[in-house]
Parts: sequence; structure tokens; C-alpha cells
Amino acid sequence: MGQIRVGKPDVKVDTSTHVPGIHEGNKGPYHKQPGHNKDGTADARRSTGIYPKRHNPILKIMPNIPPG
Amino acid sequence: MTATEPRSSARQEESELVEMAWDPITRIIGNLGIYTKIDFKNRQVAECHSTSSLFRGYSVFMKGKDPRDAGFITTRICGICGDNHTTCSHYAQQMAYGIKPPPLAEAIVNLGEAAEYMFDHTIFQDNMVFVDFCEAMVKETNPSVLRRAENAEAPNAEIHGFRTIADIMRAFNPFEGSFYKEALWVSRVTREMFCIMEGRHVHPSTMYPGGVGTMPEPTTFTDYQSRLIGILDFVKKSVAVNDDVFDFFYEALPGYEEVGRRRVLLGCWGAWNNSDVCDYRYETMNDWGKSMFVTPGIIVDGRLVTNNLVDINLGMRILLGSSFYEDWVNEEPFVTHDPLGNPVDMRHPWNQTTVPVPQKRDFDSNYSWVMSPRWFDGQDHLALDTGGGPIARLWSTALSGRVDTPYVKGTGSGVRIALPKSDQLPEMTLEWKIPHDKEGRPLSNALERDRARAYFVAYSAAIAFYFLEHGLERVRAGDTKVFTDFEVPDEAVGCGFHEAVRGLLSHHMVIKDKKIANYHPYPPTPWNASPRDSYGTPGPYEDAVQNTPIFEENGPKNFKGVDIMRTVRSFDPCLPCGVHMYLGGGQELKKLHSPTFGGING
Repeated sequence: MGQIRVGKPDVKVDTSTHVPGIHEGNKGPYHKQPGHNKDGTADARRSTGIYPKRHNPILKIMPNIPPG
Repeated sequence: MTATEPRSSARQEESELVEMAWDPITRIIGNLGIYTKIDFKNRQVAECHSTSSLFRGYSVFMKGKDPRDAGFITTRICGICGDNHTTCSHYAQQMAYGIKPPPLAEAIVNLGEAAEYMFDHTIFQDNMVFVDFCEAMVKETNPSVLRRAENAEAPNAEIHGFRTIADIMRAFNPFEGSFYKEALWVSRVTREMFCIMEGRHVHPSTMYPGGVGTMPEPTTFTDYQSRLIGILDFVKKSVAVNDDVFDFFYEALPGYEEVGRRRVLLGCWGAWNNSDVCDYRYETMNDWGKSMFVTPGIIVDGRLVTNNLVDINLGMRILLGSSFYEDWVNEEPFVTHDPLGNPVDMRHPWNQTTVPVPQKRDFDSNYSWVMSPRWFDGQDHLALDTGGGPIARLWSTALSGRVDTPYVKGTGSGVRIALPKSDQLPEMTLEWKIPHDKEGRPLSNALERDRARAYFVAYSAAIAFYFLEHGLERVRAGDTKVFTDFEVPDEAVGCGFHEAVRGLLSHHMVIKDKKIANYHPYPPTPWNASPRDSYGTPGPYEDAVQNTPIFEENGPKNFKGVDIMRTVRSFDPCLPCGVHMYLGGGQELKKLHSPTFGGING
């Protein structure tokens, strides 16, 4: 910091670095996200846990577009 | 605008030069000060210095942080275009991590950024820039122009509904005018569109390196689409209103072309990546840069110098000369060669070390916290400006002629923008043409920078339809993948090139031991507001204001400086700046040292 006099820092500069034990979002845990498939598709389980299969499309050729 | 009383001086009558300063300048964010010497006899500005009293230090405190946090920290650089920083930071991180987000995520980011351009340009143009062109202001500064405007028929009256130019000016009046109020409503709707895609305005909550967290439902896109169609009437009217008012100014004040005129030195780093081509690898940056939906480019005297992002990256130089920093050339370089093996200069952002040295403002030596970014073309260090963003983007896209979609097309001499039918107005094709003066020379001045802004809102609206179609196509096919997994590498370099709303934006990052070793964001305002560099080249504001003619009818006693303000505001300034103003006889009575954090502004 050049010639500027600065005080002793209260925290280390890399305090916000990853804390062990806390889940990292960039790992993609599919087992924790039901309804999300690895090929990038999703099914009705993404939207609801109540009888999700009933909400899937009735034909295989139809795309599965769950409402969120 | 705060104006201080003219300083009384016995020599005031003899002196031709009157010192005037606007510090801070209002209706923009930040601590920009413009200090000028005005020659009232010849009615022009003789000298100008642009200064900032604010030190940010992002490059200092980013060191040692987790690189994944970079987007969330750097978004706080700006309170109006923060998402541009998030996006740019994620571009740089994706290069460093070696990942490419899924195409649907790219469409969502592009839609969010399109909404941001529409929001920010509308609120700045209609609620801030137009105050300088409104009836109340023109009545005070140029009453004869207003009298003429009362009888001047507006050529595009059937589109916007205002019969005369004076009617348009009345509609610009702050808080009362109809156009002013409609623009506020549009800025609200466009912000809603932004939030649908990026979660929160202006610091996005659903954008991450590697993709987005936005749930890609059909309604995500249709909600956006219905709002987009709702503002189309305004967008079409806005372009017509801008054309009418600016054409009238050229007609009513012959020679107004020279106000804020500067040699055409424009830079654009490109916006909206094309997911079909872009893989975020440095090695292929030239290819995917050219396929962006706003083509990057450097334009000198109306000619395209390069649109290769690798050349653009390697030519960047951060100069000192009038800034409150110590030089870093004796420090250890971080990156000696880029991933293609090209040597990287010590003055490149990858190698920069920020060493702040607070000191008094002295216009003969150091006077600003802004450094002087320049682009080295092999011979000269060019002081590029962004022209407030839109003029550079449109010019670069026009000259490259690479953008070819059903909605927007670069034609070589301009940009054609097709907007579909809206509530009141039919389908329309607008064309922005590269501006030239009466002698046919390329023209970059205050009015053309402002005019380009209205056209770029139309550009963003049109290209958003293209992104919507592509996004919906994927959703309908059952694709919902919006995120790519990644690991943070031990060592890597990355750079992101994007367009902040007011112009070019780059983020340069070096990772060592999974932490940030060096991080340098270069947003548009350091380029525009830069002070004189070590070669003595003035920054773009200084250059544009210097020698600008004064058309205001007021004398030194009640001078508003509207021509200077129009010039500075045409660049869409955004230093976290403001305005007090003083008139004097050319000598300093007292020197004040501005506090580092702009404390007087609260």
C-alpha cells in the first residue's frame, strides 16, 4: 500500500474463502435436486413431490416441461 | 447544480479567461469534477481538467479472495450497472476455470443484459440528459432557440404525437413532462424484465460462474416477452423524439456539431456472447469475440482498426502521469506471456499493482484518482473513449457487418433494427447511420452520442426477441440445463470482455493457490474521465470539452455551462462525482484538499 500507514487488519484478507464443511454450489449435487437429470432435462418431480409421475407428459415424444 | 458566487476581482474585466468548475457534477453518480478556463470573448472553452476525488481500491482488496466471490464483490463497483460487472467477472472466471455455461444459461444472461441496457439508457437519456434539453433549461440558457422551437413543426409528429419541437421540450420537463413520466414507468418495467432473468436489480442473485440459477420455465420467457412488447411503443417514439430534437438543434444553432466534438477514437469490447461459438477459451477468443451480438472493435477516424479481442487485450496499457499512484514497473510481473505465447506488457492490467499515494490536487502535476487507460496501436497510446457506450457499439457493429439476425443487422454504413408491431404503432425498421459532418468527415459529438443511445435501446429490444426465440426453443425441447460444474484451478489467468451500459468493460484476473493473486476491472469511466497521461495526452472529457464552442446566451454572471454539461453528460459519466461552480478572474484564492472519500458530498 505504498507509503500509507494502515492499522492491523481485523480479519485475514482471504476470510471469505471456502469454509470446510459447507456445501460448494459449483459441484452440482444431483442427489439433492430431485427431478433434475444429468442430461440437462427435468421431470415433474422438480415441481412437486406429490404423485409427480402423474404430471409427466403422456407420450415419450413429448418434452417434459415442468412448471417450476 | 450548486453554483458559488463569482469571485470579485479587480482584474476580472481585463482577463479573457474565466475559471469555472463543476465539482461535483450532478445528475450522474460519483465524484467527477470538471475544471475549465472559459474564453468568453471568443466564446469557447480554453482548457479543461477532469478529476475524481474518490479512491475505490477494488484491485487492492480483491487480492487473496476466493475467485468465485469475484462476481459478487465487483458488482458493488456500481449502483446502476453492477450486473455488467457480475457478467464480465463471470466471463473472466469461466475462462480461468475452463468451462462453458449451457446455451440456455447464456440466453438468460443475454436477456438480462438486454433488459439492463434498455433500463439504464432510458432512465439516463430521458430523465437526466433531456433535462439539459427541456423547455425550462432552454428558456434559461437559449431563449431565442425556444421561441424558434414554438413554431418548428416536429417531422415525426405522427409517430410520437407532439406537434412542435417546443411541445417535445415541454414533455422533457423534469417531474411534470409526459415523456419524463413515461420514461420512469418504462424503467420500472425493464427492471422487472431484468429481475425475471437475473433475480435482482442491480446486483444479480441468480448469476454464477458456470451458469445461472434462474428456473427456465416457459413462463420465465413469456413474462419477459409480454413486458418487452408493452414497452415497444415507447421505444419507437423515443427514437423519433430524439431524431427530431437533435436535428432541430443542428438547424437552430448552426455549428452545434462542434459542441463536444472529438476525434473519432472509439472502443467497444463487444456484448452478448453467442453460445453456438463461444467456448470462453483464450485461444479461440478471436473467433468467439467476432460472433458476439455487438461486435467488438476499435475505431480511429471512422475506420475499424481491429475487431480481434486478442489484439484488443494485448494493446491495453494503464498509464500514470497525473494520477495519485506510485508506478509498479519495478514490481514482479504476474503474467509474462498470454496463453497463446504473446508477450504481455508490464503496463497491462494483468501485471498492474495498485499503489495509492494520496496527495493534494495540483493541476500542474497529479490531480485525479483515475488512472489513464490507453490502447497501444504499435505507435501511439490512443486515448479511446466509449462515447457513452451506444455510439461505439453501433459504429463497431456497423463497420464489422458481422451481426446478421432477423432483427438486427450491421450493414457496413449503419445498423438496421427491425421492431415488430406493438400496441399503437405498426412494425418498424429503424436505421442508425454512421454520423458525418457537413464536409463528410466522421462525427463524434455530444448530440450524436445522445442520439445513438435511443437507437441502442431499440437495438437491445430487437435482439432480445432473438434471444427469447432461442431460449424458448430450448425450453420447449425439454432442455433445462442452466449450470456447468467446475473446479477452481490452482493457477490460471482469465479475462472477460463485455459492455457496461456506458461502454467497454474488462476484468482481468490471475489465480494463484486457488485465490485471487491479481484482479483489475476496467470499466468505461476510467477511459473517459482519465487525466493527462505520462505522454501529456489529455483524457477524452478534457479533450472533448477543450475548444468546445459556447452557444449559451448567458454571460459570465449567470452562466449555466449547459454546453459543457451536455458534452460531459453525453459520455454518460459514472464516477462514484457532483457540482459546485465558481467564477473567478483567473487566480486561485484558496486551495482545498478534497477528502479521499468525497466526504463533503455525504
